[in-house]
Amino acid sequence: MKKNKLYSGFATAVLASTVALAGCSFGSDSSGDSGSSDSASGDQTTVDVFQFKVEFKDQFEELVSMYEEENPDVNINVKTVGGGNDYGASLKTSFSSGEEPDIFNVGGPTDVDEYEQYLADLSDTEAAGAALEGTLTGVSRDDQVLGLPFNQEGYGMLYNKEVFEEAGINAEEITTFDAFEEALKTLDSKKDELGIEAPIAFAAKEKWVLGNHLSNAYLADEFNHSVTEAYEADTVEFKMGDQMKRFTDLQKEYSVQPVLSLDYSQQVEENFSLGKVAMIQQGNWVYNTVESMDEEFAQNNVGILPIPVEGYEGSIPVGVPNYWVVNKESEDEVVQASKDFLDWMYTSEEGKKFVTEEFKFIPAYEGYEDLEIADPISQQIYEYASEGNTLGWVFLGAPTGWTEDAMGVAMQEYIAGDITWEEVEQRATEAWEKARQ
Amino acid sequence: MQNRSLSFWLFLTPVILGLGIVVVIPFFYGLFYSFTDWNGITATAFIGFENYINLFQESEFVDSIWFTVKFALITVILLNVMGLGLALLVTRNIKSSSLLRTVFFMPNLIGGLILGFIWQFIFISVFGDIAGITGIEGFDGWLSTTNTGFWGLVILTAWQMAGYIMIIYIAYLENIPKELIEAAKIDGASSFQRFKNITFPLVAPAFTVSMFLTLSMAFKIYDQNLSLTNGGPFNSTQMVAMEIVRTAFSDNDMAYAQAKAVIFFLIVAVIALTQVYYNKKREVEM
Repeated sequence: MKKNKLYSGFATAVLASTVALAGCSFGSDSSGDSGSSDSASGDQTTVDVFQFKVEFKDQFEELVSMYEEENPDVNINVKTVGGGNDYGASLKTSFSSGEEPDIFNVGGPTDVDEYEQYLADLSDTEAAGAALEGTLTGVSRDDQVLGLPFNQEGYGMLYNKEVFEEAGINAEEITTFDAFEEALKTLDSKKDELGIEAPIAFAAKEKWVLGNHLSNAYLADEFNHSVTEAYEADTVEFKMGDQMKRFTDLQKEYSVQPVLSLDYSQQVEENFSLGKVAMIQQGNWVYNTVESMDEEFAQNNVGILPIPVEGYEGSIPVGVPNYWVVNKESEDEVVQASKDFLDWMYTSEEGKKFVTEEFKFIPAYEGYEDLEIADPISQQIYEYASEGNTLGWVFLGAPTGWTEDAMGVAMQEYIAGDITWEEVEQRATEAWEKARQ
Repeated sequence: MQNRSLSFWLFLTPVILGLGIVVVIPFFYGLFYSFTDWNGITATAFIGFENYINLFQESEFVDSIWFTVKFALITVILLNVMGLGLALLVTRNIKSSSLLRTVFFMPNLIGGLILGFIWQFIFISVFGDIAGITGIEGFDGWLSTTNTGFWGLVILTAWQMAGYIMIIYIAYLENIPKELIEAAKIDGASSFQRFKNITFPLVAPAFTVSMFLTLSMAFKIYDQNLSLTNGGPFNSTQMVAMEIVRTAFSDNDMAYAQAKAVIFFLIVAVIALTQVYYNKKREVEM
């Protein structure tokens, strides 16, 4: 029965490989060299950029070739690997395989800790000096500035201006819970005339919608709007837990059902862009998606409402989702070239223009006052931010995985009716404390 | 296998090299890392069995194992019944049999990810519309509860894999000597008796192959899981493979995830080998 043994041996090997590979498989959408120069000649400095934002890959590469034209002695290779988890995994892979990039991205204090031994001090760059107040706290260690903010992002309740007008609701008055609930009731009672299915589409399938964004609005106050404070906190108390519950309940009640299988793309594309709902809890990042569905609607009809938080009426959560960092293990001239490039991108005239017009970023730096921000949602968020009506993004300082797998999951169970709100808070607190022991 | 000459080894070398580099070496690496606190970049300490002790106390991992076991049990039965059923159907003398074979096999040609999204659309939008029109509540809210998520996965997998299993059964069914069936007919055996006493024992080797395939596939399923439910709601429809990937890449606990993968490997290996052993014993040699 030698054959048998061979067969089962082979089977075992196949299984083994699957398991072994399951741990390190990732789909990568990488694009190679983007620059005009083909190979690095002797006097050229080559900078490898490894970045995660797929949405602006083409524009970024265009910017890179502009820079290369101006600085013929620098050759920049851009590699883009998209989407949340995949980026982290591939970044790890490149570090463990020794192909360390010179410029890469980190998300917040947790990432900074993990890669701290590789991060160069960027405090001498012009961009670090121009960064808006508060945007560097998450990446500062002692006197060092280890990262430069990508951009700012903000979220709130995006609403359909036309529907609101027809329903006779004045969006500017909706700053409190009562006004918010009132508006929902009005929308709900008139939904046939307005041609909507429900007032809200609540994407409760997405754990980040719940655990990152929704909860953040009510946790920001507890941590003084500081990522660092959240990062150092041993526990989370849910001082605004009642409000969080109320907001969750409201969104659930007035949403298209069932909420637990409603995902981001259904929420934004099917429901909001096509006018089936009047409001969604999202941020400026949806602009391109909405625009691709209905350009006219995206440009003229989308407004943003603040999330009702007592004591913070009329404020929206604004934060820095990602940072550029430079690998200090690279050669000195490469480190310098990397810094120069980042500086150029955020502080030179061409760079600034590109950042606002092509990247459609909400700048996280000073000196953009006279430039126009390309899309209306970002424009409104920038106005909130410049008036100082903001809540911090503290969720980036939560323990790794906490927002989604502790908070998000518990909220989903609450929405399903399996547990009470007290249990949500209790579980989330336990998970936080356990992670911070 | 007596004359293991130079050419024997020459032909074997590429395979052994390939297998060694991408399977065997990483496997032992992984085993080693599971005893450390490796975070994907550096391992600082050797912590013995701590990861292994912790993982059995983690309810999420244990839940995902149970979910997978339940899923595997049901899909293995369903797939083999459906596969054999379809095979019996298309080996009869009906006109459209080759067309039917193609049609039944077709779902298997679509990648799992895409399939997941297609079925997600069916379960959510189409089922939602059916519920809206007919008023049957059973069609409402699919994938928003643990139960519908589970059955959604089962349906998806059955639909995808049944055609593949059918092909295996067809191969064996068509190899059954006609004389045996004819002789049985002459002896007056009913069609059920013929199936039970002749067809069934003679396709037993096909059971070995199909059960092994379906069992290991049901355990390792990942892409369908990812695109159909992504573990939701509240991580309750999360298979082991997905749980491991999540531990590794979103919780950043590489060594811990590696320990889970080792346990997962052991479970699958034990089940698959036991099953192959028993099925082999039952087979009829022709």
